[in-house]
This record gives sequence, structure tokens and C-alpha cells, in this order.
Amino acid sequence: MKEIHIIELLEQAPLARLSESELNTIRAHTSVCQSCAKAYEAAQLSTFLVKERAAETFEPSPFFQTRVMATWRERQNVASPLKMWKAAKALVSAMAATVAALAVLTFVVPDAGTEFEPRAANGYSAEEVIMGQEISSAEQMSYEQVLTTLYAAEDNEAR
Amino acid sequence: MARRARDSDESAFAEIVRRYSPRVFKVASRFFRQRSLVEEAAQEVFLKAFTNLSSYRGDGSLEGWLTRIATNTCLNLLRAAGRRPELVVSDLSDEEDNWLEGKLDDVATAQYRSTERDIIAADLADRLLETLSPEDRLTLMMIDGEDASIKEVAETTGWSESKVKVRAFRARQKIRGTMAKLLGKEKRDRGSSHES
Repeated sequence: MKEIHIIELLEQAPLARLSESELNTIRAHTSVCQSCAKAYEAAQLSTFLVKERAAETFEPSPFFQTRVMATWRERQNVASPLKMWKAAKALVSAMAATVAALAVLTFVVPDAGTEFEPRAANGYSAEEVIMGQEISSAEQMSYEQVLTTLYAAEDNEAR
Repeated sequence: MARRARDSDESAFAEIVRRYSPRVFKVASRFFRQRSLVEEAAQEVFLKAFTNLSSYRGDGSLEGWLTRIATNTCLNLLRAAGRRPELVVSDLSDEEDNWLEGKLDDVATAQYRSTERDIIAADLADRLLETLSPEDRLTLMMIDGEDASIKEVAETTGWSESKVKVRAFRARQKIRGTMAKLLGKEKRDRGSSHES
């Protein structure tokens, strides 16, 4: 029972934190108990090793700051196209909507407009207005009049 | 300085790196023994800090905030490495074997100490610590290695004090158990070699 107590005492706290009376108890016990002596030895060695390892530290090299700043700038540049894309999102959406509207106007609206005859309210066609070629009704001949004139000429020759 | 850095003032970033890199290197050195790995981890810490500066409210010190980022970053890097081998005597190098033997003869004599011996001791310590989880390893390094208090470890890691106590106890138990096995084997080997 006493043996277990010593091992527990060893594991409860770092050796450096044990009080002098606790250390005396341990020393007294380990002089007569083989397994606790082994545990105490292991505790001393592992504490020593961990302290050795903890004392090993690296100092930053003189170039460390420059390296970090260069990497930081690099990462900022990689991130900036993404930022630009985010900022241009509204513009791109507006452009896409415009293209879609133009496509609708080009391919859908003209089909619907083929039945529409653009004619001014005064009855003139667009060609008449633009070309100014107004043809008077007096100058116009009907199809029968043309035929009658042709046949009359032929009849006169035959006679 | 933190306010200037939050406003993307590059000179403030540079000043933060210059002022706090020794502290961040010390934290990273608890986890890694190769300079390149320590530098890599420290760089990652600063880049993470710059990206998340908006989350620093200025309640505590900037150094404390960076220490927490450094600890978590290194823990994550170690977890990602995910190696936790068991250490047995046959894994020890000749130097480590001799070191243990020398220690058994006389642990504390000043003549025994030398830079080379210190490096061997740190190598062996690292191999022992590698058998622990990254969290237990950190706890043991801070409490037994750097004499930090339970409260200090709790503040650095964000764990509760009772969790820190449990981790320290478990880590101490495991590492001393491994060491006891190594010493037992060492003594047996020496006994048999003396007989022959």
C-alpha cells in the first residue's frame, strides 16, 4: 500500500514541485523498495530529458521577417483576382442580362412583327414617302386598257 | 500596432513579425526539432494572425493572442503528421544506448555534461515525447520542462485546468513507464554482457 502511495506521489506533480519532506519520504522508501526505486529513477531521468528538450529553442533568422512579408504579399496577390471577380459580379450580371435581352429582340420579336405593315395614317407607303415617287391615278393604266390597246393595234394591221 | 495592421498597414505587419517572432519560435520549438519545420510553422502562425486580425479584440496582449494561435497551429500540424510510435530499446541508437548507460553509472556529475551529450539527451527526449499524443506532449513539455503552472497551460491552450492536470498526469505516467522499461532492459543487457 505504501509502495503504491510513493508511485502516486511521483506522478502527481513534477519532481521540481515536490516539497523537501515529500522528497525525504520518497528517498527513505526507495532505499528499501526495489520497484519504487526503479520508478523514482525513471522519473528523475525522464524529467531531466524533458528539461533538456525544453531548453532547445530556435531563434528566428535575420531573413525570417522578409520571407513572411514576401509570402504575405504573394498570398494577397493570389487572393486579389477573386476579390476583383466579386466586385465585378454586378457588372457581369448586367452585361449578361443585356445580351439575353438582345437575343430575345433579335430572334423572337422580328417573327411577331412580320404581320405588321408599317403604313402612315395618311395612306402612303414608306417607299412613296421616302422616294417621293408619287404616281398620279391619271397616269395609271388598267390591265384591260393595256390589252385593248395591244389588240386594237394588231387588228388595224390585219386590215 | 494591431489597429494599424487591421487597416492593412504593411509596416505594422512587419513590426509584429519582428517583435514577436522569438516568442512564436519558442512555442514552435516545443513541437519541432528541425529548424525548417519551426520556421514553416512560425510563418504559418503569422499569416494566420494577419488574416484573422479582425478577431483580435484587444482584451488581452497581442503576444498572448499570438501564443494561442501558435500553439493551436503547431498542434494541428503535429496531429496532421499523425505519427506516434512506441519506443523500445532496440530502437535506440548507439549514442542513446551509451547515454542511458552513462546515466545509470552517474547521472549528475558535471564532467559527464557536454554539448554532444546534451544533444543526445534531447534526441532521446524527443523520441520519448513522440510516443505521446501532441496534446499530452505539449502539457508535459510546459509543466515538467519549462516549470509552467497548470493555469498557464490552461490559458495557452484554452483547456480547463482539470483537463490539463489529467493530461500532465497521464503523460508523466506514460513517459516514466517507457523510461522504466528502457532502464530495466538496459540493466538486464548489461548484466548478461558482464556474465559473458
